[in-house]
Amino acid sequence: MNPCLAVSARHISHQFAGFSALNDVSFEVKRGQTMALLGHNGAGKSTLIKILLGLLKPSEGEVIVLGKNHSELKQRNELRIGYLPENVSFYDKLTGKEILSYFAALKRVTKPRVSQLIEEFGLEYAQDRALKTYSKGMKQRLGFAQAILCEPELLLLDEPTVGLDPVASQFLYGKIDELKQQGCGVIVCTHELSLIENNIDIALILAKGESLAKGSLAELRQNSGLKTRLTAPNLASWVAQEPRLAAYYADDALQLDAESKSQVLQLVMSECQVFDFSLTQPALAEIYHFYMSQNKQTQAVS
Amino acid sequence: MLRYSPVMVIAKKEIKDSLRNRWVIFISMIFLILSLSVTFAGSAVAGHLSLPEIDALMSSLSTVSVFIIPLAAMLVSYDAFVGEDESGTLLLLMSYPISRLQILMGKLLGHSLIMSATSCFAFGLTAVLLLIFGEAYESQVILSQFSQFIFSSILLAVTFILLGYIVSLKSTEKAKAVGSVLFVWFVFVLIYDLILLAILVADLSFMNQYLINGLIALNPTDLYRAINLIGSDVASGSLALLSSSTMGKLGFYCAMLLWILALLAIANRVFQRRTL
Repeated sequence: MNPCLAVSARHISHQFAGFSALNDVSFEVKRGQTMALLGHNGAGKSTLIKILLGLLKPSEGEVIVLGKNHSELKQRNELRIGYLPENVSFYDKLTGKEILSYFAALKRVTKPRVSQLIEEFGLEYAQDRALKTYSKGMKQRLGFAQAILCEPELLLLDEPTVGLDPVASQFLYGKIDELKQQGCGVIVCTHELSLIENNIDIALILAKGESLAKGSLAELRQNSGLKTRLTAPNLASWVAQEPRLAAYYADDALQLDAESKSQVLQLVMSECQVFDFSLTQPALAEIYHFYMSQNKQTQAVS
Repeated sequence: MLRYSPVMVIAKKEIKDSLRNRWVIFISMIFLILSLSVTFAGSAVAGHLSLPEIDALMSSLSTVSVFIIPLAAMLVSYDAFVGEDESGTLLLLMSYPISRLQILMGKLLGHSLIMSATSCFAFGLTAVLLLIFGEAYESQVILSQFSQFIFSSILLAVTFILLGYIVSLKSTEKAKAVGSVLFVWFVFVLIYDLILLAILVADLSFMNQYLINGLIALNPTDLYRAINLIGSDVASGSLALLSSSTMGKLGFYCAMLLWILALLAIANRVFQRRTL
């Protein structure tokens, strides 16, 4: 067992009454690393999270969480796992402080930690107000505070930023970053690809229970074969003057793969004397759509 | 240590939640109005105002309470699981280092304490007022009759809280759970009693006392009435069937406890098998 790993999942499969929710999924998340768990609705993300939480036992395969197998645990509190479910709606009539204290008591976390989190998440002014008076952002901050009550070594977040404004989302990702620095492994399940793109180390893309792709953003870009776009003012006229660029020109941009990139850049700057250009790498959303469409095509063929 | 037991933590939260929802006040007031009206204004139906005989009073109180206690208990408990499931907190609770049995017991303790407090307040206050104003009654009789009445009311409430949990655990939506608890209430409180009455009226020759005892034991509401009516000579109709039962008070209490244990075991089994 590698002590640097927060999660090691090998060949996980899970069936519900004949339906295959997960099929041979393997991945690893290191401590201090953030993994985006991506996929369409019903792709198997929630099943995978429940398996990591120890709420479901996979039909096949092995899951090691923080160096331990769930089935070998005597007590669940041996593992410091934090979890924020999707669209959780806490108890409306209780105050923010009461809700956090309730979950803290269930995890045997001390009261000073509750006060510390309330202050850290900027909820002191509303701590004695009923939850029904909280905004969506405040509720989500409270939910996040609940997830990190036990100072987790593994944090599982299901759609943590859905419905939040950009400032609130950035606040939560800032907190995730802090936890990463402290060595916490983080798995974020989300559909907001543009938001998470700059906050992850690796991604796992699932579709219909199967792993389509996994790796760092750079690896996913390379494996997908998606090209970097070079755009510049009057690019068409430059391409017309330099026939060697024509082979790369499409959709008002030069489409560059990893091999041709340096060569074309050199050509653009030294031969054409163009310095006012921008390079756009394939975004996570493009990579995701590429793998999804590829999967659809494969299924259509089979 | 006990303060931090998950069962106690969950029970405390359920009580706090019910207080904020004003359930406790609402149920207490209903029970109190019902109890005071039956006790002090029940005789108005006969055209005069006087305090009834203690046996007649307990008979009237149990006859009215048997409708309202099960309903109140199930309304407190019907969304205990399906409600938390819909809001996502059940999944969250299960990810915590606590067992499903602890969650069930915590909720049961909390809801049972709520129903106990409301019963003690409403019926206890009636007893106190009777002690003050009911000169015709012996204090000891009032205390013993009302203690038994409150205790049996709590047992009846616990039984129906558990029935509410089973409905809640079996339901996929809160709306369906409401419909189901009303159906359960209708069957146990109204229909079953009508069947018992039909048996009494039909005077079927094959019906022996053992069978009648069995039929009473099969419904907690009949057990509750039997506990409060046994030995009383004021009962008529199906109530006479209950009051003349040979099962004995202890037998009825044992049957009620068996109901509670059986329902707890069923609720636990359903919860353990519930998929997330």
